[in-house]
Amino acid sequence: MRYKRIELHNHTTESDASITCRQLVEFMAADGADAFALTDHNTISGHDKVRKILKETGTPLSCIYGMEYTTYYGHILCFNLHEYVPWENINLHKPELLFQAVQQTGALAGIAHPFSYGAPFARGCRFEMQISDYSVVDFIEIMNNPEPLHEVNEKGLLLWESLVLDGYKIAMTSGMDLHQRSSMEDQFATFVPALEGKTAAEELECAIRSQKTCISRGPVLECFLDEEKGTLSFSLTETAKPGFASREQAPWLVTLTSREETTVHALDDAVRLASLGNPRLLIPKLYQGDTRLEHLVCVGSVIELSKPKGGISVS
Amino acid sequence: MENTKKDLENMKQVYGVKGTLPKDFVGQISYTVCLDKPYEELDIEFSFDKQHYSSADLTPALLEELRTLCRREYDIEVSDAELERLAYQEMKTEIHTLASLNDSFIGCIHRQLPVRHMHFTPSEATEGCLPQSVIEGVLKVTVLVFNVLLDETNYSLTVRVR
Repeated sequence: MRYKRIELHNHTTESDASITCRQLVEFMAADGADAFALTDHNTISGHDKVRKILKETGTPLSCIYGMEYTTYYGHILCFNLHEYVPWENINLHKPELLFQAVQQTGALAGIAHPFSYGAPFARGCRFEMQISDYSVVDFIEIMNNPEPLHEVNEKGLLLWESLVLDGYKIAMTSGMDLHQRSSMEDQFATFVPALEGKTAAEELECAIRSQKTCISRGPVLECFLDEEKGTLSFSLTETAKPGFASREQAPWLVTLTSREETTVHALDDAVRLASLGNPRLLIPKLYQGDTRLEHLVCVGSVIELSKPKGGISVS
Repeated sequence: MENTKKDLENMKQVYGVKGTLPKDFVGQISYTVCLDKPYEELDIEFSFDKQHYSSADLTPALLEELRTLCRREYDIEVSDAELERLAYQEMKTEIHTLASLNDSFIGCIHRQLPVRHMHFTPSEATEGCLPQSVIEGVLKVTVLVFNVLLDETNYSLTVRVR
């Protein structure tokens, strides 16, 4: 399968970044991204500017038009958002209303950097909204590259895993939270399956709605089910993302997380699902060397296993 | 787009207000201006003071309050020197300004400028804002208050047209 790399969290001088819309387009094109999202804080004023720049220059790069709702109680990233939906009356105890209002326009809405430090440093950066129905959340940004790995991102990853394993159809994303020309080398990017005849916006929507996004610093981890044998095997798909700091001699390891446990496997293992207790959901992750978070390379798409008449199938 | 003092002097002030915010206020204050006729240019100026702590504000009691917050919210221990650095450099009064015209979004300024303008013409607008082909009807300016460090934080809002 071919994957497209989308950089999903970027700001410009339209809000508080130091790069203009034109500079952002040039920066993304120079780094070889397939698409990027424009997610300025609480404004869509850059949309027409980027649209015009892409048309004028013919840059082979797609833009996902969006916004980062920056509220008193957390940040909500929106993709495929083409109109401003007011947020000012947000209710800390009923944030679902804002997610739904955004989604009614056809946009995707998810939680950005849920565990960033908020007050007294930056009120609103930590997600404090009291969600009672997580089915309104399309995705969670589990890796916000500039944030501390353990204090912030690990908690986001664990929150997402817990919700997914509870059965919520929530996708995962990563982002640079770009405010200047920061190097994207060895940083996590979001990958979505390339679909024939679809735009990047459609591919992203399809991937998010079906939990087929994955995040990676380099290669994408793919999982294959052999229904007859009831085994799961793995392979890596190289991507064109520059700057992945591969530890050449270190072995690849795959972890599979279910509700019950996390197991560790070699990349070339064929894992018997029965040995895992035939779980319904698995979250695969790829590491190099050992399974410390520092060595995480890719979080693969959620594996949903069902048991139809003919045996186990993967979707 | 830049607007000079001279540009502003040639515009007509249609509204001006001053207000005071208390420490820790979170919420918004909206001002609605009914424009009497169509205009070609609109400027919304907003300013506020006390954006950062001064040395006089940073009392031992306040430092202890901040230290307790760091422990309680984030389970982190911060040294005195680091806490002072954070208090002076990272913590700030944060206010955004949002404008709508006839209930349609026309711009928001997120950048934390203690003096800022939202300027609109048919062909150009300040970054964060959308050019407006027709400036008429009902203008609503909302002051979005995210964080207020200090009591008696003063702000001022002025709306000008041409």
